[in-house]
Amino acid sequence: MSRFAGRPAAGLEDSPFGRLLMDSSEQMRRVRLAFYEEDIDEINKILSDFLDASQAKCILLVDSEGHLVTKKGFTKSFDTTSLSALVAASFASTKAMAEVLGETSFLTLSHQGKNEHIHIALVSGRALLVIVFDDRTNLGMVRLYAGEVTSRVAEALAKAEERNKTRAPQRLQADFELAAEQRLDDFFGKQ
Amino acid sequence: MVQINFAAREVNCKIVYYGPGRSGKTTNLEVVHAKAPPDSKGELVSIATETDRTLYFDFLPLDLGQIAGMRTKFQLYTVPGQVFYNATRKLVLQGADGIIFVADSNPDMREENIESLENLIENLRENGLNIEDIPIAFQWNKRDLPNAMPVEQMQKDLNRWNAPTCEAVAVKGEGVFPTLKMLSSLVIKKLNSEQEAGRPRAPAAPPPPRPAAGAPQPPRPAPPPPSPRPVVGAPQPPRAVPPPPPRPIPPPPSARPLPRPSARPGAPGIPSPLPRRTNPLAEEIRRRKEMEAKRAVSAAPTQAARVATQPGRAGVVSLPVLVLVIVVLLGGLVAFLKFGLKLF
Repeated sequence: MSRFAGRPAAGLEDSPFGRLLMDSSEQMRRVRLAFYEEDIDEINKILSDFLDASQAKCILLVDSEGHLVTKKGFTKSFDTTSLSALVAASFASTKAMAEVLGETSFLTLSHQGKNEHIHIALVSGRALLVIVFDDRTNLGMVRLYAGEVTSRVAEALAKAEERNKTRAPQRLQADFELAAEQRLDDFFGKQ
Repeated sequence: MVQINFAAREVNCKIVYYGPGRSGKTTNLEVVHAKAPPDSKGELVSIATETDRTLYFDFLPLDLGQIAGMRTKFQLYTVPGQVFYNATRKLVLQGADGIIFVADSNPDMREENIESLENLIENLRENGLNIEDIPIAFQWNKRDLPNAMPVEQMQKDLNRWNAPTCEAVAVKGEGVFPTLKMLSSLVIKKLNSEQEAGRPRAPAAPPPPRPAAGAPQPPRPAPPPPSPRPVVGAPQPPRAVPPPPPRPIPPPPSARPLPRPSARPGAPGIPSPLPRRTNPLAEEIRRRKEMEAKRAVSAAPTQAARVATQPGRAGVVSLPVLVLVIVVLLGGLVAFLKFGLKLF
């Protein structure tokens, strides 16, 4: 059974936790992003619940730099890497628009197409949820559940941030730099 | 900043090509797209005007493949070089892990090169970053021009950090991969050193308040001469003249005038660093606000005049009523006199 109760659509500003996160978002934005399996599993569960409840086609979690963090649903039909980069750029430009109007940031964005539509929601000021949906559902339904999934992912990210403070950091392998140099030689050729 | 996703076993880096308009940033990306192995590249996305000038950015994802168990991906972006698009340049620059500054070797573009570099420094600062903390490589593009500026001059004008450089003719595909390789290597070295340090990068200091336009810059802490910025392992292309030693930080503008190549007769040379340009977006907003304020001031007397004329207009409106009343009264009087006299 879906864990989504179908509460009325609530933006991040409606959630006390979200408000707290928004306040510290600038500080969080500057901290290196490292995602661990445990955190991603938890987030994936939330995203799957959302898809069950909303009947959206797929959902992507993208960081503010446009790197894809995780995705759920049917994504084979499009290039998720390009979509992530474009969504992040689009959201960044709307943030600038919001600032012109005296807002900190717009919290959601929706784009309606002929068959495919996108709803984007800001999470904790440092990540974006990108929901792709078609005519099997509708914007109202997506917005209804998007507010909740936003809050839940924000909580999961905050918990991950807390866990990062205490757990032993996972590192890249010691030979990463050497392996990278060899790979760069292979890829770009030796000069 | 570099995203490390241990769940997906991925490392994602963002590299931005910066430089003045028409210096060859998009061409660099096109060459990378053309030369990269098909299974390593994504679509080249270009948000450009109808005349193929970059409007927002160009984007090319590049997959280097597995490196020590991590799939390493580079996302290459270009910024729009035209002066007007500074707001979008700043947005694209956000979260950059490395920068390739593409400088134009055309002598007529010397001033634009310097301006663009100063703009980069300022935009980084406004994003909370210091140019000395971010991997950067310089590409001297269009080296095939017959009157190309000497490399030493470009080095002196732009590369005050002794960052790695590469000569290129991007339209012919020369020097594009070596530049990207240099920068990639720097980005990975930085990531690796941070990993070895075992702690995430310290949060960047908030940007200092911007000095007033034209005011001399606060003295920048000079890089220690004994330990200049490390040059990447990738060898640089052979140059006729060895690169100059690390240049000391330039003195305040007033003390170091740079002659403008295309200066008008009698015009003073442009000091370097060039006076800071203000954000066009902010400039536009300020201009609009000023216009609105002026409009409000000019509208105020009109409104006052309108208010003042209101009683007059009320008088004009009541005049026909008054005439009508008089006519009715006169008519009534005549009728009264006519019928009243008959009665009596």
